[in-house]
Amino acid sequence: MAFWNKDDKGVALGEEQVLNVLKKVQDPDLHKDIVSLGFIRNLKIDNGTVAFDLNLTTPACPVKDQMRDEAVALVKALPGVQNVEIKMTSEVRQTPQLDKSALKGVRNIVAVGSGKGGVGKSTMAVNIAASLGAAGARVGLLDGDIYGPTTPIMLGLDLPPKSVGNRMIPQEAAGLKFISMGLLVKSEQPLIWRGPMAHKALQQCLFDVDWGELDYLVVDLPPGTGDVHLTLAQAVPLTGAVIVSTPQDVGLRISMKTLRMFQQTRVPILGIIENMSYYICPHCNSQDHIFGHGGGRRAAEQLGIPFFGEVPLDLAIRTQSDIGSPIVLAQPNSPSGRTLREIAERVAAQISIRSYETPVLEVE
Amino acid sequence: MSRPTGTQATTPTKIKKISPGELMVQWADGHETHHLAPVLRGMCPCASCKDEMTGMRMILPIHIPDDLEFRKIEIVGQYALQFEWSDGHHTGIYSFEYLRELCPCPECKLV
Ligand SMILES: Nc1ncnc2c1ncn2[C@@H]1O[C@H](COP(=O)(O)OP(=O)(O)OP(=O)(O)O)[C@@H](O)[C@H]1O
Ligand SMILES: [Mg+2]
Ligand SMILES: [Zn+2]
Ligand SMILES: [Zn+2]
Repeated sequence: MAFWNKDDKGVALGEEQVLNVLKKVQDPDLHKDIVSLGFIRNLKIDNGTVAFDLNLTTPACPVKDQMRDEAVALVKALPGVQNVEIKMTSEVRQTPQLDKSALKGVRNIVAVGSGKGGVGKSTMAVNIAASLGAAGARVGLLDGDIYGPTTPIMLGLDLPPKSVGNRMIPQEAAGLKFISMGLLVKSEQPLIWRGPMAHKALQQCLFDVDWGELDYLVVDLPPGTGDVHLTLAQAVPLTGAVIVSTPQDVGLRISMKTLRMFQQTRVPILGIIENMSYYICPHCNSQDHIFGHGGGRRAAEQLGIPFFGEVPLDLAIRTQSDIGSPIVLAQPNSPSGRTLREIAERVAAQISIRSYETPVLEVE
Repeated sequence: MSRPTGTQATTPTKIKKISPGELMVQWADGHETHHLAPVLRGMCPCASCKDEMTGMRMILPIHIPDDLEFRKIEIVGQYALQFEWSDGHHTGIYSFEYLRELCPCPECKLV
């Protein structure tokens, strides 16, 4: 091979040839090839070495390795190529309508909601956010629950955020920027927080906080469909919502109200997570589907919504939450840690899809 | 025949104030709507313009000046527009569905 490349100067390898073979690599989520999607950057050909960046739409891409391996194999197979140097980079796209708002440094805002309380919204929100952060994304978490703030505990924080002038500085924990409406309220007078108050508190947490540059801002919603939901849906163009359910809310009946609320305000449902889906015995690691099986997946199929996966009822998830150290960081390779990280990647993939599909609205 | 439904028909792709009192909306299905400020103001869905229980209109065309203008146009989340009118009113949230439903063109009025 070396001899072929050195001597045959006439057959110089061109960029076009490289791009042509790279066109065979499809992004399975966006259903387009990586060249048309503009993922190939800094292509350089130097003798037998081809170097380029593969710039994906999220660092938490679930099919990152697959696309990289395909791209490398295809380019390597070209005549005259001895060496392929590929650098994996990412650039999270912004939901089209967001760049004009006060949150223009934030690329995507994602809500985590449920119909019923106590299904594990906060647990999912924290672990998804921490997974995305660990994958290399810039992530913020907004705890929108003013009544029972559990998210600060899950991150090991119990003091309200500091402020400079009338701007709040987000706290940092688990690789995340964090603001809790609950802690904010606690820091002020013991007021009765009714609708208009919740409305105002959420507005502050969105617009009076120095969020800076974020790829994802995850919002942990209180249970049900209240003022916080509506305020959020009106205040910002959400990229979408993740719905958390448990096998007990039979076929998601209880979450239907939540789904309808999101539909009415045109917040795309990114997908459904079934939490506490099965039981992992802490002694023997065996799985037990105590509540029946497959309900969440079936319901998602019926509604035509992606299904993100099933999270086991696992004492380790709770223990890690209780000590303020999310399982995806503390035990990333435990079965539950892995499951939650995969779910976060699927969420990231859906966000990428949405940011391509949402039509750009021009306002003059 | 029924009114166009589905998300294409109710997803705006372009919103433009073509004169102080006229708003143009282009929809993803290719349709184009022209709303006149005084007419749209009369259809304000907010609680102070329309009684929530009876549906009765509290503001009538005689209350609205013919030369009413759009002072400010804002997008609400992903689903609606909110206008501030030259009479100062600003609490109405017009969902995209509602704005399409109110399209005054002959084609839409026929069905
Ligand atoms: N998969 C799981 N395995 C074990 N424990 C879990 C799991 N998911 C959540 N929990 C525990 O269940 C309890 C409720 O979870 P969490 O606070 O996340 O629910 P929530 O939906 O946010 O509740 P709320 O509606 O009150 O906001 C917590 O103690 C949490 O640690
Ligand atoms: Mg919670
Ligand atoms: Zn009104
Ligand atoms: Zn029309």
